[in-house]
Amino acid sequence: MEPRIGVYVCHCGSNIASTVNVEEVARFAQDLDSVVVSRDYKFMCSDPGQELIKKDIRELGLNRVVVASCSPTMHETTFRRACHEVGVNQYLFEMANIREHCSWVTEDKQEATEKAKALVSAAVRRVYYHQPLQSREVTVNADTLVVGGGIAGIQAALKIADSEHKVYLVEKEPSIGGHMAQLDKTFPTLDCSACILTPKMTMVGSHPYIELMTYSEVEEVSGYIGNFKVKIKKRARYVDEDKCTGCGLCQTKCPSKVDSEFDAGIGKRKAIYTPFPQAVPNIPVIDKEHCIYFLKGKCRLCEKICEAKAIDFEQEDQIIEVEVGAIILATGFNVFDPTPIYQYGYKRFDNVITSLEFERMVNSAGPTDGEIVLKDGSHPESIGIIHCVGSRDEKYHEYCSRVCCMYSMKLAHLIKEHTAAEVYEFYIDIRSFGKGYEEFYNRVLNEGAIFIRGRPAEITNIAEKPEEEGNLIIQFEDTLIGRQRRLPVDMIILSVALEPQPDAEAVARLFNISRSADGFFLERHPKLDPVATMTDGIFVAGCCQSPKDIPDTVAQASAAAAEALAMISKGRVEIEAATAVINESICSGCQTCKLVCPFGAISFEEEKEVCRVNEALCKGCGACVSGCPSDAITLNHFTNEQIVAQMEGMLV
Amino acid sequence: MKSFVDEVVATPGGENIRACIQCGVCTGSCPVANEMEYPPREIIAMIRAGMRNEVLSSNSMWYCLSCYMCTVRCPRGIKPTEIAHTLECLANQQGFRVKGTRTPAMYRSFVSSIKGNGRVHELGMMFRYYMTTNPLAALKMLPVGLKLFLRHRMPLIPKRVKGKEDLSKLIQKFAEIRGSE
Repeated sequence: MEPRIGVYVCHCGSNIASTVNVEEVARFAQDLDSVVVSRDYKFMCSDPGQELIKKDIRELGLNRVVVASCSPTMHETTFRRACHEVGVNQYLFEMANIREHCSWVTEDKQEATEKAKALVSAAVRRVYYHQPLQSREVTVNADTLVVGGGIAGIQAALKIADSEHKVYLVEKEPSIGGHMAQLDKTFPTLDCSACILTPKMTMVGSHPYIELMTYSEVEEVSGYIGNFKVKIKKRARYVDEDKCTGCGLCQTKCPSKVDSEFDAGIGKRKAIYTPFPQAVPNIPVIDKEHCIYFLKGKCRLCEKICEAKAIDFEQEDQIIEVEVGAIILATGFNVFDPTPIYQYGYKRFDNVITSLEFERMVNSAGPTDGEIVLKDGSHPESIGIIHCVGSRDEKYHEYCSRVCCMYSMKLAHLIKEHTAAEVYEFYIDIRSFGKGYEEFYNRVLNEGAIFIRGRPAEITNIAEKPEEEGNLIIQFEDTLIGRQRRLPVDMIILSVALEPQPDAEAVARLFNISRSADGFFLERHPKLDPVATMTDGIFVAGCCQSPKDIPDTVAQASAAAAEALAMISKGRVEIEAATAVINESICSGCQTCKLVCPFGAISFEEEKEVCRVNEALCKGCGACVSGCPSDAITLNHFTNEQIVAQMEGMLV
Repeated sequence: MKSFVDEVVATPGGENIRACIQCGVCTGSCPVANEMEYPPREIIAMIRAGMRNEVLSSNSMWYCLSCYMCTVRCPRGIKPTEIAHTLECLANQQGFRVKGTRTPAMYRSFVSSIKGNGRVHELGMMFRYYMTTNPLAALKMLPVGLKLFLRHRMPLIPKRVKGKEDLSKLIQKFAEIRGSE
């Protein structure tokens, strides 16, 4: 069938029309080969705009369409659908981006118009060679994998499981709960963190549709949207989960004491331990690195004391394979270690501590039973809280960690509640943007916390005046007064940044997703697709995507669950037809393509000695096409013919 | 004429001042901040507010000790030390004279000694410095000068470097680029 092409040049309000002479571009396109009709219109994406295309297809018998407007990531789907609705195959459509690639980045109107003409001419030449293609559908496995058992993972898992679909929840620590379990109270409502979290944890532990795997990590991921295969390593606990009653006797007798990770290093745990009393599951693990039996071959006290005979030193790591349709990553964050900021004296001065350490100290279930104490056991009379430690600083993290202002003010409130100490908040800007947050700021101000605007320069213990003796001294500029000042205090809390997990890079590679410049996982679109990733079927939730507070985390986790459930509920997903095809009669079986394919989409068929593309896995990147020494591979919708025609069109 | 902030941004070291978040870590770190008319953070705010006369006639930049603590600690990559030196140049070029500091006179004596000999001739430099500031103050320095002289550390006749012409060319080129002496 002879191509009959329609060209539509969009004004995009003034976005394009103020820089590009759209009428001139439309007149230019009218004279191009095979163009039957060429028009310009205010908003092509609007209903009347789409109707224009449909009407022309019906009345003028168009069989190819070019729209010159914005980026295909914005509206390709819109126009493809419009074509499809009136019987033109969606792959017989081509988009020329004259907004992002032209009007927005060109100042001179004449130059912009010439460039728009070149882009339109390229699209017209290209669409001439387009082939009708069929999108395919694959079925979706109804099970979901959630990685990370903090509040994000818990929320996502519960939402999906409540719809009676199976969830595998994988957590690398011995218990779920994440950072939220470590917090004392939560801003701005001052709910006790454990009180609102533990009911959810118990629900996860007993949910018939959740298979919880703690002390476990994902080892390998293969497959594609709807059909992932995942290998999970379940590390040996050395405690039989079926026999253990969770009585905790073993932990009282174990002679090996270690710094507790859960207590942020300010408390102790045993070598056989559950991280905290409300742990789910309430089954201890033996920390092999500190267990006296594993180190010296003697002890086994826990084994002797255990009435249930649950201790099993012979246990080994297990590999479990599961198949799932969607994956939700909720791997959380790491707290910034302020040791490199030498002038703040963390680890050099006893009473300079991080916010997380203080959080454990002020918690009534923490190592000091909630008492705020200095290293020597006495009570502080004045406490300084320094904001933005490791945040908003190009030497550490350029971004704002979003939660520090609020949690610092919460700590000020807790100090005022527990003690009579003076509290000084050193801030640069107060960011109290959430619901009820500004009101909380007001409350803390009225409670008597003193706010000083200025990033402290240094913390020292060298007194310059008698009244500074024996204290830590913060030196800073009080920027609202414009003077350099020194303030002696007893204790200093560093409100540390939230940063990506140390293994974020490895996890990103494992799941084949991208990270943004700050190291957090990259969402597909920051505004309109905030929980999807560039890999179909893999979603992100919580602080692994960016620092955020509990309300935002829970909202995002629910969104990720909704995305997974939407896939499950439909039961099938459409897969782009722009995939590579290998011509078996030319293929020599050298397997270069298999080597260069970043998606593992190519397999080698021993029998025929040729390679074959799994279309569900292929993303149409074209690496195999350029890699093939025999020119045996064609990428549908990106054939040599189409690309050469596009380039020729551009040069006209 | 360029706006004041543009003028400073265009100088080496002045590039990032638009990114300043006024956190005050520079002032907090500065050993002489409380001696200055305006501490470093305020100087940056004033540059951005276009307060050319107030900034260039202040003593702030002339008090800078070049300890670089502000530059090391700034979270935005701003170099207040470099900016202080830039402001000294601008004040000099644009004819601002600051009361209460002799640093400009010291700079001029230093540079003139370098121009003449290719290196510093202490006696000549200090002579010029005291003659242009307060000749009587030189008397206080006499005992130290004498000691140095006796230990051959303060020669009467200046020594000159080899290739002084080449150095002159360098200085000239620098003056062209920087637009000042």
